[in-house]
Amino acid sequence: MDFSLSRPKPHRLKPVLLASLLESDFMSAPTTTAATSATCANCSAPTGGAHFCPSCGKIQPLPRGTDFFSFFGLPQKLTVDLEQLEQRFHSLSWKLHPDHFARASDDERQLSLDRSSLLNDAYRTLRDPVARVEYLLGLAGMRKEGQKKQQAPPELLEEVFELNESLDELREARASGGTAAAMAGLRAKLEAAQHKFEASLAAVDQELARVSAEWDAALDSGADETASRKLMEKMNEVLNRRSYIRNLVNGVRQELAES
Amino acid sequence: MPRTVGIDLGTTYSLIAYQDKREGRPKCIPGPYGTPLCPSVVSVDADGSIIVGEPARRRLLTQSERTIYSVKRLMGRGPADVQDELKIFPFRIDPASKNVIRVRLGDRVFTPPEISAFILRELKSWADEYFQDVVDRAVITVPAYFNDAQRQATRDAGRLAGLEVLRLVNEPTAAALAYGLHEQKRGRVAVYDFGGGTFDISILKLISTTEGDIYQVLSTNGDTHLGGDDIDNALQALAREELSKQGVDLAAHPDTVQELRKALIAAKHELSDAAKTTVKFPLPDGGDAALLGARQKTVYFREITRAEYDRIIRPIVDRTMGPVRQALADAKLTSAEIEEVVLVGGSTRVPLVRSTVEEFFGRRPHAELNPDEVVALGAAVQADILEGGVNDMLLLDVTPLSLGIETMGGVVAKIIPRNSTVPASAQEMFTTGVENQTGIDIHVLQGERELAKDCRSLARFQLKVPPGPAGLARIEVKFLIDASGILQVAARDLRTGEEHKIDVQPSYGLDDAAVERMLEESIEFAEQDFSERQLIEARNEAETVLQATEKALAREQEEAPGDMPAEERHALNGAVTSLREAVAGKDYKRIRAFVDVLNQATMPLAERMMNRALGAALEGKNLGEV
Ligand SMILES: [Zn+2]
Repeated sequence: MDFSLSRPKPHRLKPVLLASLLESDFMSAPTTTAATSATCANCSAPTGGAHFCPSCGKIQPLPRGTDFFSFFGLPQKLTVDLEQLEQRFHSLSWKLHPDHFARASDDERQLSLDRSSLLNDAYRTLRDPVARVEYLLGLAGMRKEGQKKQQAPPELLEEVFELNESLDELREARASGGTAAAMAGLRAKLEAAQHKFEASLAAVDQELARVSAEWDAALDSGADETASRKLMEKMNEVLNRRSYIRNLVNGVRQELAES
Repeated sequence: MPRTVGIDLGTTYSLIAYQDKREGRPKCIPGPYGTPLCPSVVSVDADGSIIVGEPARRRLLTQSERTIYSVKRLMGRGPADVQDELKIFPFRIDPASKNVIRVRLGDRVFTPPEISAFILRELKSWADEYFQDVVDRAVITVPAYFNDAQRQATRDAGRLAGLEVLRLVNEPTAAALAYGLHEQKRGRVAVYDFGGGTFDISILKLISTTEGDIYQVLSTNGDTHLGGDDIDNALQALAREELSKQGVDLAAHPDTVQELRKALIAAKHELSDAAKTTVKFPLPDGGDAALLGARQKTVYFREITRAEYDRIIRPIVDRTMGPVRQALADAKLTSAEIEEVVLVGGSTRVPLVRSTVEEFFGRRPHAELNPDEVVALGAAVQADILEGGVNDMLLLDVTPLSLGIETMGGVVAKIIPRNSTVPASAQEMFTTGVENQTGIDIHVLQGERELAKDCRSLARFQLKVPPGPAGLARIEVKFLIDASGILQVAARDLRTGEEHKIDVQPSYGLDDAAVERMLEESIEFAEQDFSERQLIEARNEAETVLQATEKALAREQEEAPGDMPAEERHALNGAVTSLREAVAGKDYKRIRAFVDVLNQATMPLAERMMNRALGAALEGKNLGEV
């Protein structure tokens, strides 16, 4: 089953959140109706979408499309109290981890696997401010494969141009065995560029934090759909810029490590 | 009686341990030589029987063609992966090996999981003997940096040894569990685990919560082909180079190479304490040793100082520091933020290793725990957690390598990043690219590189789709890495809601059918397992007691008929009948119990026989002699 040229490559759609396919109105209440109307398979009591049946205590199936925010019982806001999130992560880990279901039935073991893996995925995403924004945009169907691109910030164009020149010179010098002094000079140039790009990255992260705060405020004040969409477009644009700068930083870092 | 054990399946040594419920602490189980260390060496005798552990290690010197050590290096790897290894290790790989390596031992051929299973089976027999009961469930440790194929191979080895593998636990994490239990410490801990063939570094956070203690791994890194073996090999390369300069070539003397290896390992151990040591090693017959000097004509005689030793092994020790730096960076910590460094693995006894670690972290590493035993002890604790015994400890481990799938142009799309807490999952949506395409090929990989060709291929499988226009199909695939770090895949057709059964063919490793087949074969070849052996022994014992009873009854009938009270005769007959019935069954415990009952019932009979014998003896003697 080798990948040959004649065989079509898998075509992957990104991001793969069910919610985005369902075109759900992400501004509405976080839990799905499937979750709130669920009943316990063991005792038929209504579960209200909880991890465990409030009546008999059995672990419950994960409703399809459960999003990370609602899993943690959080509103879809971008400001997250990390200490509180970690505590919640630990307390849910105690309850849901497969270790505690090692002797349970096959069904319950599977449910523990489903819930604990979602718990870990959700924690990994929500504790990171950038991943959190990407996830929120993904939920709203705003960050599909085609909409995700790198965008060069105009104010960095000059530096990027210079960087490419330095890189070319460095590679040439390396290939022709340039003098130590010439190499050191090029290295210093690269290091200066690195500082500049790292500063840009810090700045864009701050910008993202500002827009995130705006988003939370809009949510609190019950902003309309147009205003929200505008904010999301802004976040999307910041993410695209960030992704470009991030690549620059990594690229220069790698060059420096190799030289 | 605990029936779940923890096993450290090591490159050089393997150990088995259990949680002593009365003392509330884990303990290692000693083997027949009194030590819990079982050399991870397997040898095949001329008659086809399998020899494991210390006796197998001795055969390295006399039967090197039939004996293998460090098989862990071959677990989950393909023939192409081990070419470098073959230059140094005397593995005899069968030329017919395809995806799975086959190793030749004498005239038989085995896969690495089968060889590892022999080691596990040996350890299991130690535990069976120790508990006088069958142990059939285990937690087995693996290097944290083991990939999916290496983990699957380890799990297969467990199955082949007749063990239900409840969980694979990462070695440094197991060590942290034992350490935390022992020291009652909290905070950020680095576990530096340098073993016989693998190196791991794990950064953990030990947290107290109201429910108990959480051992959360923040990051892990390592090298699954870096260990004490490499130190041995560096010393060996030096010695053989010096010998070849003197016209002595050991290539034609595999047994002598093992002799040299043994001498150099002894020198290594000495250099852990001493400032210098001397390697003395007899050369093979016919070796032209005239150049070695008049005094040691047939002996390789070489002094090694600590300084020279450090110089030789420095590159090996330095190779551990790259992973250490990466693990710290991934945990977003600096070396100064680590509050304790724990040393695990036999190679951390090397002074240069200790000083290098101490210098890097700026603190003296913790080395109070026995570095050989601590991993097995931690595995025993985890086994007890899974059995519901220990309930105030929770281990949150991570996957060491990013999981990805191949996309256009051979580029890997990362779907689960490295150092994600496990279980971890990712859902991906797939569709068709051309009209009437009937299948979508998925290639799953593990590794950090950009291109599929530079990552480790884990598996390929095909999603079946009903024919239709391009892009119509919607197949959701869920990739899940379980708590043992092993990949599971499930797929669902979103348009029909239908679950797909996915037959994942491992790229390197045995499929289920192969494991089943080996399991059947291994039962044919394996020694009788514990319960079978017990049954045979119990039946023999029962037979002996039954025969003795029959003889005694016949004799009493002859010597003193009527001496036996009716009550006693009734009890005796009952005991004989019950024992005969038990012998016909297969429960050795039941047989043993009725042997005891019969022994009790024959006691008055035995007493009378003794008295009569004594009386007869007295009659024949003078009173003065009594
Ligand atoms: Zn219920």
